[in-house]
Amino acid sequence: MRRTLSIGIAVLGLLLAALPAPAHHAFGSEFNVDKPIALRGTVTMMEWVNPHSWIHIDVKGADGTVVNWMIEGGSPNSLLRLGFTKNAVLPGMEIVVDGYQAKDATNKAVGKALTFADGRQLFLGGSEPAGRGESPKK
Amino acid sequence: MSNRCLASLGFLVAMACASLALAQTWTPPRTPDGHPDLQGVWTNATITPVERPRELGAKEFYTEEEAAEIRKQALVPLPTAARGGTEAHYEFTQFGLDRTQFQVAFSWRTSMIVGPEGRVPPLTPEAQKRIADRAANAKGHEFDGPESRGIQERCLVWGSEGPPMLPPGYNSYLQFVQTPGYVAIVQEMIHDARIIPMDGRPHAPQNIRGWLGDSRGRWEGDTLVVDTTNFTEKTNFRGSREHLHVVERFTRVDDNTIRYEFTVDDPTTWTKPWSAELPLAKDKGPIFEYACHEANYGMANNLKGARATEPK
Repeated sequence: MRRTLSIGIAVLGLLLAALPAPAHHAFGSEFNVDKPIALRGTVTMMEWVNPHSWIHIDVKGADGTVVNWMIEGGSPNSLLRLGFTKNAVLPGMEIVVDGYQAKDATNKAVGKALTFADGRQLFLGGSEPAGRGESPKK
Repeated sequence: MSNRCLASLGFLVAMACASLALAQTWTPPRTPDGHPDLQGVWTNATITPVERPRELGAKEFYTEEEAAEIRKQALVPLPTAARGGTEAHYEFTQFGLDRTQFQVAFSWRTSMIVGPEGRVPPLTPEAQKRIADRAANAKGHEFDGPESRGIQERCLVWGSEGPPMLPPGYNSYLQFVQTPGYVAIVQEMIHDARIIPMDGRPHAPQNIRGWLGDSRGRWEGDTLVVDTTNFTEKTNFRGSREHLHVVERFTRVDDNTIRYEFTVDDPTTWTKPWSAELPLAKDKGPIFEYACHEANYGMANNLKGARATEPK
């Protein structure tokens, strides 16, 4: 039992030590971990760009006003390896994005995951803390 | 090699020696000029830390049982609870950043750093002062402008590019290309190709320095040895900058593995040289371009975030 426990601790230590390195930039200075948001919107553009992809969505507010938001995801390389394809996110698709708003309070956010109308989910692999398996740090 | 085996005891080592003996009889594929063919795409993704967890002391290798357990756990997605920070529930077993989605180069080592200590040697007093001075000068100015951000955020050099080349955490792929006069190594993160002359020419003059240093290669038997100097003071490998000296050794030990060893030395930074070893595992590829500066909105967003939150 003790042996199993010690292996378990060693394994846990290893897993924690070997978690993916921080993403491209300082999450804490760009996005606000105290401002989690969930947005339902229609994709207007998918930017497959480095070092991070950006999804643009039109979000309709309660008063009917439409606001365009930019959502940061992982690098195209990472997204492809996470199961995205070129046609995974196309203009006109309705998606729900969970993430954190930008610190400068503009309509930008880092995305954790997106959910399609049929319920499928894809991880965005961006700089958000949970995407890296870490607890949020300010 | 046999002395090394005899010095270590137990079943594990007997197994390791058996595999080493196998490795010695294995004949690598060769390029037309007769050298081992290292070409192709390889991954250095790993679950092995650079430094050994302190609680493991001088234990350099896991036992077969422990290694199997670690492998097993690494191949199972972490439960949501262990990830933390997720107020929403996601199906992590479906998509995620788990290594279950990627090939990992496994090792029985407890740390990449070899030897009984398994940790980076202490910094010299000179290095401690240098690092403290730099930190003091930077304090409060971290977000002054693009130049005050790290070279990684500025898309210049990725922190793990080295040499020595360490796993970047994601997109952990390398491609080797050999010609009679050169070996080239491309690391997906961040985009650079190391072009290594193999013709025996000396290092560039001291006043010519590069982000990735100045590398010269040679073959020692079937091992590619690469010596690198002439780094700049802008790069930072665990406190070592322009005086870093790296010797890397690449040995193809079987169809699917290159043994990657390196020794780093900098008397102005560490009290003694230190060495590490990690496997590179063959991957089907391809590697992709990581054109980092293409749309680095993050830089402007970081600075805007800093401006928005600083006292008015």
